[in-house]
Amino acid sequence: MSHNLHQAGSKFLKMMARHSDTIMDAYLAGSLGDHKLEPKVQDKLVKAGVLYRPEPGADLHLRHAVRNLLEEALKDERNRQIDANAGSAVATFKTLAQHYTESRHQGDVAASDAYYRDLSEHVYAFSEGLQHSIRVMWSRINNEFGYVGSINAKIRENELAQSQVSELLSGLEMISFEELADISGDIRELRRLLVSNLQQTITGCIQELGVVQGRLLKLLGRFRHIQGRAKLLKGWLLYTSQHPDYEVANHVAHKQLPMLFNQAECIIAPASVDIQNATHEADLMRQAAQVKSNQLLRNAVSEAQHAESVVLSENEDFELNEHPIKAAVSNYFVHVIDHVKPGADSISALQYLEQEALDYDAESWLYQVIGGYEGLPESQKEFFELDPEFDVLVPFANVVIKDVSVGLR
Amino acid sequence: MLSANGQVLERLLKGEFICRTSDEDSWRLLKNPHYREQIESHLNVLNRTVGESGSGSDSEVFFCGYQTLGDAERKVVSAQFKEIVNSLIPLSQWLMLVQEAEGNDTPLTEGVPIRLNEIQTTIEETPALREELAKLSHFRLFGSQSAMVEGQIKQIFKRLVELGYLLRPNPEKQHYIATGKIDYLYEVIRFINETEALDLEAHAEAASAQGSLL
Repeated sequence: MSHNLHQAGSKFLKMMARHSDTIMDAYLAGSLGDHKLEPKVQDKLVKAGVLYRPEPGADLHLRHAVRNLLEEALKDERNRQIDANAGSAVATFKTLAQHYTESRHQGDVAASDAYYRDLSEHVYAFSEGLQHSIRVMWSRINNEFGYVGSINAKIRENELAQSQVSELLSGLEMISFEELADISGDIRELRRLLVSNLQQTITGCIQELGVVQGRLLKLLGRFRHIQGRAKLLKGWLLYTSQHPDYEVANHVAHKQLPMLFNQAECIIAPASVDIQNATHEADLMRQAAQVKSNQLLRNAVSEAQHAESVVLSENEDFELNEHPIKAAVSNYFVHVIDHVKPGADSISALQYLEQEALDYDAESWLYQVIGGYEGLPESQKEFFELDPEFDVLVPFANVVIKDVSVGLR
Repeated sequence: MLSANGQVLERLLKGEFICRTSDEDSWRLLKNPHYREQIESHLNVLNRTVGESGSGSDSEVFFCGYQTLGDAERKVVSAQFKEIVNSLIPLSQWLMLVQEAEGNDTPLTEGVPIRLNEIQTTIEETPALREELAKLSHFRLFGSQSAMVEGQIKQIFKRLVELGYLLRPNPEKQHYIATGKIDYLYEVIRFINETEALDLEAHAEAASAQGSLL
């Protein structure tokens, strides 16, 4: 039996996963039109109890249980559902507890086990539901009912939340632990579950709900304050526009001046520098230095004003002196062009260095030649060929370039 | 360096308003009865006292007032009162404009940020608000000569920062924060409403009832 249930359950969940896009569409939009779904899919989802049609001809809606699951999982703030019905839950506890005691008396271990499991499931679900409700309340308080726009809507939401809290509190008051203690008698498990566990949870919840109630009232006060201000501002603007000749009475002429208008004149003027104070010396010196530099700056500017008129004329030609090592590399390239036939073996860079008796370090010379080659424009580069001569050092396969030679292609 | 007390004293004597947004440390210091007494005794030497407006745990504004009023003080106070009353209409119209441009039903209060660019775009796109802004910017309080929305609104915000109604935390950005002085304005309107029995709330309600009937 349980195996079958397991299979059917996972099949159902897989079906939901397959149609997750459809379900989320329905969740976000509230309903789904017929044309958005293939008839086959629609049929399947309706049969599985995920979607339903509230009345003939209406769009498809998401079932309440599925919606609740999603709201809970997504921590959706729009979830304002609060189950305040403690009475029926307690009635269920009592009934199940009676079933349990009865089957225990009859010695039916299997049945009593099943009832006990059922009962504990219900108790835990009840506590969890309570805690969930409180969590929902807190999240509403913490974002100040941010999910609705206008201040009036916020006030209405706040009133709804307050009525829900008081309903929850009165529901919790109805739970009589004496009765539950009577039913559980001297059975230890039942006492633990129904009396001590439940009592602990409920006391905690009642305390927290009290705090929630206080916060809600405070928030309501703030909303009303803001609303009062909005009305005040609007009323003031309306009044002044309707009565253009209205003038505010002289409220400061009364003997008793309202504190609101008692504003003193400002009496602090900029202080002067005390040059005798040794502790300020460093700061003052710096300031003085700045003053000086400012003056210099001003002089410079005023001189510029007397500048002679500028005559525009053509610039004389000038040549940039190339760096000697770069010139040597160019000479090397020219040497190659002049003396080496295309494709033939060329004179290597180090040979050239020796031949010309140039006074450069061999390594920098090689770098410069490679750089010179790479620095050529693309159109010239294709006439040359750079042929490195290298050793591979064994243990780490490092490549060492010993020499390069530039040839013509 | 100034001590915390000295800083508060300096700000008060400069005629500044101290609120939670503009200077939280000083505000907290003034909320503490012990320190407040110290400040009060310092100010009393100069015939000053700590004034406050607003109620509630967070929304209080402190400023400096006279302890006893002679003729000279009365002259100052009445000059200041005139200034407040004269700036009340442009400021309240500005508050309404910001509220409408942001599409809120709550008026601006202390600590609320304003993004100038967003408001500017909305105003530029809405002819009614543009007209409102143009009217507003020519009040002497703001003194804008510009014919463009950008120039007008920037001038208004610049003036409001100078007057201490707004803060601009980052000079490179056009973001502003309302200070407690804005809340002070509401208190002034409330005071006028109560003492002159203008019944402004009823006016507002009647107007919105008419609006819903239409």
